[in-house]
Amino acid sequence: MRPCNSLKLEFLKNWIMGLQRWSFSKKEMGILERKKAIKLSADIAMASARNGTTRWSRALIANAYSKHDKHLVSKGASTEYSRRIRSKKILKRSCRRIRRRSKGLVRERTRILKNLIPGGELMNEGSLIEESLDYIVSLRAQVDVMRSLVSASEVDR
Amino acid sequence: MENQFFINAGIPPHAPPLQFGSSLSSSPMSGWQSLSSAMEIQSQDCFPSTDYGLQYESALSSMVSSSAASNCNISGESLMIRELIGKLGSIGNSGEIPQHSQPMLAASSCYGTPLNSPPKLNLPLPTSMGLNSSVADFSADPGFAERAARFSCFGSRSFNGRTTQFGPNGEIAAYRSNPLAANANLPRVSSSPALKAMVSQVGGSKKNTPLQNRSELANSQEESTVSDQNPEPGLKGSNSRKRKAVHKAKTKETSPSPSPNASKVIEPNEASNEKRCKLSESNGNENGSGKAEEDGKGINTKAPEPPKDYIHVRARRGQATDTHSLAERVRREKISERMKLLQNLVPGCSKVAGKALMLDEIINYVQSLQRQVEFLSMKLASVNTRLDYNVESLMSKEVFQSNNTLQHPMFPMNSAASAFLGHQTQQNPPLQANTAICPKLNTHLPQINQFIETVSGYPAFCEGDLETLVQMGFGQNQIQEMAFHSQNFQGLNQVSDMKVRL
Repeated sequence: MRPCNSLKLEFLKNWIMGLQRWSFSKKEMGILERKKAIKLSADIAMASARNGTTRWSRALIANAYSKHDKHLVSKGASTEYSRRIRSKKILKRSCRRIRRRSKGLVRERTRILKNLIPGGELMNEGSLIEESLDYIVSLRAQVDVMRSLVSASEVDR
Repeated sequence: MENQFFINAGIPPHAPPLQFGSSLSSSPMSGWQSLSSAMEIQSQDCFPSTDYGLQYESALSSMVSSSAASNCNISGESLMIRELIGKLGSIGNSGEIPQHSQPMLAASSCYGTPLNSPPKLNLPLPTSMGLNSSVADFSADPGFAERAARFSCFGSRSFNGRTTQFGPNGEIAAYRSNPLAANANLPRVSSSPALKAMVSQVGGSKKNTPLQNRSELANSQEESTVSDQNPEPGLKGSNSRKRKAVHKAKTKETSPSPSPNASKVIEPNEASNEKRCKLSESNGNENGSGKAEEDGKGINTKAPEPPKDYIHVRARRGQATDTHSLAERVRREKISERMKLLQNLVPGCSKVAGKALMLDEIINYVQSLQRQVEFLSMKLASVNTRLDYNVESLMSKEVFQSNNTLQHPMFPMNSAASAFLGHQTQQNPPLQANTAICPKLNTHLPQINQFIETVSGYPAFCEGDLETLVQMGFGQNQIQEMAFHSQNFQGLNQVSDMKVRL
């Protein structure tokens, strides 16, 4: 299932915007910083390309908003999500019984998957798989776009 | 997505549940009426149904609880329908939709008209109680039990004309003598084709393949249950009555009765009530599958209750039928559906069977993709340090690299160039731009000017590809510009503005 072009386009557009913001704010960046900026803006671009229809995208934006430089994420998009996610986390923490023992392979792997997908800890199993589906498609689109970008830039050299 | 369902049905997203709840608790009739009006349902349909409901209730006292319930007696069919609805709903919105859809469907079922128009009911209830024709029947969730009984006795297959259901009043009485039996037989038989029709319709209306898969799965599931149901009509007779009577008071013991397998569907009250009571609190998703409804609302556990959030599951032959196992089964089925979808997505997953292995593959794939993103971003960061790029060559090369369909490197520029130009002229970019500093910008503009002339000439190219290419090329330039910025070049603004407009 190849990611459709529209998704890629949307992602690229958002990414460029994000990169612009980065470039405007910081004039000089080390390579690692640049890489972080690129990756972060790419992630946010991918998440925003989803327009908040999926949980992982909302969680990703909320996390990025809270952790990283705020200028990358538009306030309107993130505050609602972050609020929701925060409340969910609080709820989960209070209600959940922490299980140290992972019962069986499936449970353990579900746990791992939950850690992989942004905002996955808050989902139940059914929606987790659904979200991971969407997340995989988005990641593929992201990788495709980035790869072509790299190849384009490399060609010149 | 949740809104989608409601919009299609002509009902505001959150109105039905509220109305439903209120109607159920206080004045069912008024609630139903308002709902019907909202749904553009011929209100007269509901009224007769209520009358019938009352009659039905008297006969099957346990079936009908409150007046609202009387409007839509749901026999076992509602279970199937609800399940499907719940599945469909949960797809769009984890668990929320079923909640909303249920009341909507319940309302629609009573009123019938929405049933006739499938597009309105995006969540068609798969099992029309004995009515093949209309998907709408399915939507009449609350009225399923009642209708199924009615229709089965009438033998009428067309639900489209609501009047038909209410026509043979006297038959209802006769039917009542063996309501469940009739329900068991006729509705079941017709339900599956109706279910299929509904499923296909649902699949068509929803472009989401997972939904279709789900509905199909639900359909198949329903069919299997249907077949199971048929052999057991004999049990129903008195048992059903008894069960129904029991339902009214209690919600528990009915399920274990004679037909452990399919009883759930036929008598929504039995297990569903109990399930509803028990599971009403749980999450919409998983529990919706169970009979987690708002039975706690005080509505009698009769099936017709406006199911908020539950998916009716029919217990298959030889399977446990208590609340938890049913809910668990629905959960599992949902998960397995999604696993199947994932199989297509994740490479190398088709051969793997079993949840653990599939999860393993998924985890590996997600991890590898994430690592790729990291690596590529690092690479891009390193690439940025080199700034001397020739825009034109870069663009052309990119064109060749990324998309082989393009024969001319200039082509991608055309469509995008005009767009860019348009944007460029429109806006007044706050050019802190120092064109001298940024020679690339200067080179860009003349190129764009040239390209604009020939924009119209290339319809053959895929728009998306072209745009992607151009974006890529521009993006590349963008990154170069970024590098420029890092060196205090500010000519980027113009280009970036143009890109932004895309």
